[in-house]
Amino acid sequence: MKNLMSALWAETLKMRRSTVPFFITLGFSMVPWIGGLFMIIMKDPEGAKEMGLISTKAQLMAGTADWVTFFSFLAQAVAVGGAILFSILTGWVFGREFADRTAKELLALPVSRATILTAKFIVTAIWTMVMTLWIFLLGLLVGYLVDIPGFSMELLRTAFVDIIGSALLTIVLLPFVAFVASSGRGYMPAFGWVVFTVAVAQVAALTGWGDWLPWSIPALFSGAAGPRAELLGMHSYVIVFTASLLGAFVTYRWWQYADQTK
Amino acid sequence: MNYAIETNKLSKYYGNFRALHKVDLRVKRGEIYGFLGLNGAGKTTAIRTFLGMIRPSEGNVKVLGQAIGLGGGGPWAKIGHLVESPAAYPELSVRENLEISSRMHGIQNPKAMQDIIEKLSLASYADRKAGALSSGNFQRLGLARALLHGPELLILDEPANALDPAGIVEIRELLLSLARELGTTIFMSSHILAEVDLLADRIGIIHKGELIEELDAARLEELRAKQLVVETRDLIKACETLCDFEPVSVNGKINIKDPRAVQSPEIIATLLVQAGAPPTHLAVEQENLEEYFLRLTK
Repeated sequence: MKNLMSALWAETLKMRRSTVPFFITLGFSMVPWIGGLFMIIMKDPEGAKEMGLISTKAQLMAGTADWVTFFSFLAQAVAVGGAILFSILTGWVFGREFADRTAKELLALPVSRATILTAKFIVTAIWTMVMTLWIFLLGLLVGYLVDIPGFSMELLRTAFVDIIGSALLTIVLLPFVAFVASSGRGYMPAFGWVVFTVAVAQVAALTGWGDWLPWSIPALFSGAAGPRAELLGMHSYVIVFTASLLGAFVTYRWWQYADQTK
Repeated sequence: MNYAIETNKLSKYYGNFRALHKVDLRVKRGEIYGFLGLNGAGKTTAIRTFLGMIRPSEGNVKVLGQAIGLGGGGPWAKIGHLVESPAAYPELSVRENLEISSRMHGIQNPKAMQDIIEKLSLASYADRKAGALSSGNFQRLGLARALLHGPELLILDEPANALDPAGIVEIRELLLSLARELGTTIFMSSHILAEVDLLADRIGIIHKGELIEELDAARLEELRAKQLVVETRDLIKACETLCDFEPVSVNGKINIKDPRAVQSPEIIATLLVQAGAPPTHLAVEQENLEEYFLRLTK
């Protein structure tokens, strides 16, 4: 336990001192503001007409200016944007050790490699979950400032489940990104992996097989393609959970047994 | 005997490439072991194998009496290492980088970090980001991490890299004092053969993945070729006079490897004086480690 606390302390320090998590959080913080902008546009159709293309896009994405639409936008942004930004963060947490050539400093320590990996996973999960909660709270503030109509506590509870649930499903899939960043010995392969999974998830969702593909499931959960009860079954959650365990297993095995030459 | 490092038929193959081939290496406790080899000879592969970073294809490694596990288990709390180039988190300060190492080693002594910062002359840079350090100070940081927890065994890959001449002397004295006063075992590879020559009690030479020579400093002294170097104002007459000793004229000097000349230079002096070509310089010179190494690996 003491070893895990030491590793957590080290990973938190690395995270705090780097600009990468800061800029990812900053980028993610734009989401509620963008949603708020769409709401302003839709609340004022005359002004929207004058804005031309932006107005058209806002109508396509959002529909009507109310809290249902606004929360739906946030949930989809967390599911799709989170898949990208959380993966970039994970790729950086694991891949930087190779880019900075510090991986070799983690391999022959009294703290085991498995403990260091666990600390990395915990810090990444906490950071991404805190980011999601931050987006949710910021969304409430933006919605209040923009004065979106139709708020209710029931809607708030539903939106909370949609957004946090999407984020959780995205987060549990991050071990695969960790594996790609580790075995690829850098963060660039992880970025490639993100592009690949986002593209495949889109194709699977469009062809109706999204409930069977782990990387499509968080977006389907968010309600991006309709009510999740119709799109996802128990098998979908089992698949995400299994994929998560598999990703974690191969990452631990790789750090334990692969030749470390970098 | 309980060795600090012991390998038995240690081999590592990458496809058809033999990075290490049946290496039987013994490092005694408390000694300074110099590990020499050309680039790509297998030095770093061997060091990474000792540290459980690379799995052997065949054979095994014991470090401080403990077999290195397939999953990287080993007596790491007692070992300090510097593998290839030093590494540190660039956005963290020197002190923060050392604080991470300190926590990972579970160091209780609150003074340990400050002591090592001062010992390696890093006090002025303690709060500077590691990414902003000069290469010499970055090397010092790498050494500080290796030494921080007072290890029994130090495994250092090119410890004098990037250091200026004063730094090289400083680190040499530090390593010598660790070995002589605290009994720390030091295994070091280096390209600076003069450094190894000054420090090592024993030397191992690896070439194309094989340990081709392992000998102590006294034996090395015996094996190094010696020659008599003669300078005179009449080089031609001197060569004619000494033709029985197979003299070789190089850059205005005469080199003689004949053992009779090396063991009795006064005979050569007498012959040259009698021939009217008296020596202006006469000295027995021993080949240095670099020359010995190159002769062996040719």
